[in-house]
Amino acid sequence: MMAKPARSPTAETSPPAAAEKHRSASGSGSGLRSLASAASGWWDRWGVMGSGLSKLERAFGDQFPEGERYFGLENFGNTCYCNSVLQALYYCTPFREQLLEYYGKNRNVEDAEENLLTCLADLFSQISASKKKTGVIAPKRFIQMVRKLNEYFRGYMHQDAHEFLNFLLNEIVDILEKESSAKDSPETTSPEKVSNGAADNGVRKEAPITWVHKNFQGTLTNETRCLMCETITAKDEPFFDLSVDIEQNSSLTSCLKNFFSTETLNADDKFFCDKCCSLQEAEKRMKIKEVPQILVIHLKRFKYIEQLNRHKKLSYRVVYPLELKLSNNSDDADCEYSLFAVVVHLGSGPNQGHYVAKIKSHDHWLSFDDDNVEMIPESTLQTFYGSSREYSGNTDHGYILFYERISGKHGHEKTVSPDGGVQP
Amino acid sequence: MASVGSGGGGGAGAGGLKTYFKTPEGRHKLQYEKTHSPAVVHYNHSGKTVSQMTLAYLKEKPAGQGSTPSTPSAGSGMRSAAARLLGTGNGSRALSFGSNGTSRAVSGSSRMGGGVGVPTSASGSQGMANYDGKGTYIIFNTADTLFISDLNSHDKDPIKSIHFSSSNPLCHAFDPEAKDGHDLLVGVFSGDVYSMSLRQQLQDPGKKPVSYQHFINKDKDKDKDPSQGGAASRHGFIWLRCTCVAWVPGHEGFFVVSHADGNLYVYDKSKDGNTDWTFPTIKDQSQLLVSHAKSSKANPIARWHICQGAINAISFSPDGAYLATVGRDGYLRVFDYAKEQLIFGGKSYYGALLCCSWSTDGKYLLSGGEDDLVQVWSMDDRKIVAWGEGHNSWVSAVSFDPYWSPPNSDETEENVMYRFGSVGQDTQLLLWDLALDEIAVPLRHPSGVSPTFSSGSPSAHWDNACPPTGVLQPSPRMRDVPKLSPLVAHRVHVDPLSGLEFTSESILTICREGLIKIWARPSHSENQQPDSSEQVVGSASAKDKILTSSNKAGASSSSFKQPSSVLFT
Repeated sequence: MMAKPARSPTAETSPPAAAEKHRSASGSGSGLRSLASAASGWWDRWGVMGSGLSKLERAFGDQFPEGERYFGLENFGNTCYCNSVLQALYYCTPFREQLLEYYGKNRNVEDAEENLLTCLADLFSQISASKKKTGVIAPKRFIQMVRKLNEYFRGYMHQDAHEFLNFLLNEIVDILEKESSAKDSPETTSPEKVSNGAADNGVRKEAPITWVHKNFQGTLTNETRCLMCETITAKDEPFFDLSVDIEQNSSLTSCLKNFFSTETLNADDKFFCDKCCSLQEAEKRMKIKEVPQILVIHLKRFKYIEQLNRHKKLSYRVVYPLELKLSNNSDDADCEYSLFAVVVHLGSGPNQGHYVAKIKSHDHWLSFDDDNVEMIPESTLQTFYGSSREYSGNTDHGYILFYERISGKHGHEKTVSPDGGVQP
Repeated sequence: MASVGSGGGGGAGAGGLKTYFKTPEGRHKLQYEKTHSPAVVHYNHSGKTVSQMTLAYLKEKPAGQGSTPSTPSAGSGMRSAAARLLGTGNGSRALSFGSNGTSRAVSGSSRMGGGVGVPTSASGSQGMANYDGKGTYIIFNTADTLFISDLNSHDKDPIKSIHFSSSNPLCHAFDPEAKDGHDLLVGVFSGDVYSMSLRQQLQDPGKKPVSYQHFINKDKDKDKDPSQGGAASRHGFIWLRCTCVAWVPGHEGFFVVSHADGNLYVYDKSKDGNTDWTFPTIKDQSQLLVSHAKSSKANPIARWHICQGAINAISFSPDGAYLATVGRDGYLRVFDYAKEQLIFGGKSYYGALLCCSWSTDGKYLLSGGEDDLVQVWSMDDRKIVAWGEGHNSWVSAVSFDPYWSPPNSDETEENVMYRFGSVGQDTQLLLWDLALDEIAVPLRHPSGVSPTFSSGSPSAHWDNACPPTGVLQPSPRMRDVPKLSPLVAHRVHVDPLSGLEFTSESILTICREGLIKIWARPSHSENQQPDSSEQVVGSASAKDKILTSSNKAGASSSSFKQPSSVLFT
């Protein structure tokens, strides 16, 4: 019931000077932030005083997209993992639009309790409704809510952006599902929480209902073929993103190919075949059953190294194309995607560093580094592929890739046939 | 899904790299390596430049020429323009390339030693090679320097380095037939191009280019890519960057330069006018627009706006009739160069295309790109005829092997075969056989169902009709294109590869960092003893996997017969 009046003006746009002050205050955790960006912050301020236009506005010139807003997000002490993901979601236009639509419908509901969803919606609407076209905003209440809800994100430690994305989407889904089940008749089966790729909670009994599902959810079929009786056990697994293993000097295409390749289960890893009623050797593979509208791919750069008893960052060079097709061997499923956001991890290890987001908006690429937003050429994306040698000095690596579906709209509702789609 | 560790932990050193690989013809051995000084490597780690290589067959110096090849008489206008621009004095030598001007002499005969058939026409015993004789040289760029190595020398160091202090050299081309001595073209980051004599560079002891002609791309100030918000100037001319230079075969003195902004400019070396000209504004970035300079004296003489986004590579058909381009938009385009007309084009499976190359007979074209595929295009059919699957990352260079002949060449049947190679960012060199009588129509189905050979019958998905002139075809569907599997897949470098060249005696590979490896072709004696116990490729299990799958494909689901002599172990 912290209702309406509090929501509107909270932390509107903090002037660049304040942001600058904050930057130095939170300096300890952001050692990796370059001097260059600090310098450009100064430039920003100068620019505002000089011409009345921010540096970014001048960069756009007369091409500033109609109705679009570009706001940096203040860092509350190592909250860059959060800021980078929030920016990627903001410029995921269908997600933003549906969130704002939801906000429009729900903000006047009496007794509406503040939750993560309302905080996010608040933040997004503050940005989109801002009079200024560019600036800096403090996602204070959102961060507070995140910290309240999840112990994991409570500290001021460096956190994993991918885990945060998962947490956020699942939390929103929970809220939406609770709301809809509260509204609907109580006999609705309790909604299952959808989690990342290898969801452990089996087949969903209901079609996806929320707009989060409509944007992000795809379905994998996990097929296991018992090598003894040849029986194929298929299990559908919904996903919001694909977490793929990476290899040195490979492409995203190749990583996805490996993800969908056949794996043999044997030795200690045998499969319990229901038909044979025993552990058997088996072949296991993943297939795409339903493709998502927004394909989020998480490159598993933080790998647990048993000998070290800790996670290590893999700086492998993994090239990702601006366009991608998802085929999974089912050759008529040529769904085309276009890259629109990359969450980049800067730093040499999993427990330190910084996150920034590189985002495409209205055909322009922009770099979002906490409170600093600037235009970048498309070719800059090449600098985040990784390095072909372990110690190269370049520690900025693409970590989460956001692709949006651009084609095959005609076949949009047509799902890939579960058998791999071969009709000779 | 445990990472099938191709070079797992970052490949410290050259670990796991074998120094040979085998083909049906026998063993290809790593003969020697060429690179620049290690100091440059660090410099290069900014990642801004990618090393490319050009092979230069320098002919014997024609008799009766002075020690300095004639400088093009007309060059002065251009050069003084350049000088003005760069704020230095007049004359080409006054341009300060390489600040300190230390003349690291091309130290003596030792560097020329061991040259196979390099008659250095011993002009005295001063120990200074005069480079009057013929020779084969490798020209490659790294960071701000252009290096020249003697292919036939075993020396790892280049014999010459040329600094470009104003803008990094990115691409180059050599024309052995160039009449006035300016046989070498160098395209730089700023969009400008230099022409010069390779022999003259070799003969000069300095570290800067000498007697060059500078072609300034004036269009850079006028033509900004509107879709990028006129971002050109803000990003330091990044859109104007030269991506490829090429001499026009059969048109003495003409060359073309492709750029990152989707434009291609035509230059005539003999023209030096600097009159004011403008090319019309490009209204639709995605449309082809060819414009000619108003003045007949001006350079560039024409601009072809080809596509939205960068043109990544260009290649002339051997007879110079056709020009192929590939670009950021994923399309291969083939133009009738004289008519300035699009003949046909087609799209990658997805993502940009990065390289293209013609067969020596001009009938086929190869391209490679960000879909990890090698595409084979037919000029007769004006379409894609096969996809090569085998790279684990982007394909950065493709080339037919012009020196390869089919094993059963005594048979005069029409079994036309080609050998080609590709290198990729996966650090692999792949060799492929293309047997054209065996290309059948939609064939490979992923389920492992045996392919349907239906070469004669056009199918719904595979229209045999040649498309009309000027049509760009969309991406084919995965199952509609016949697939090729590589003959050999070999991890040859630690770093991602950027270039591939074939010579009569060897295969050359270069990585993005500027290390060149020279793989000697098998001698005939070695060919006699096929040793099936040896692995074809390196130890990494990933390679084995590839070979296994390609073997499988060759046996069951691809219409391409593997030559019987291929060794799969």
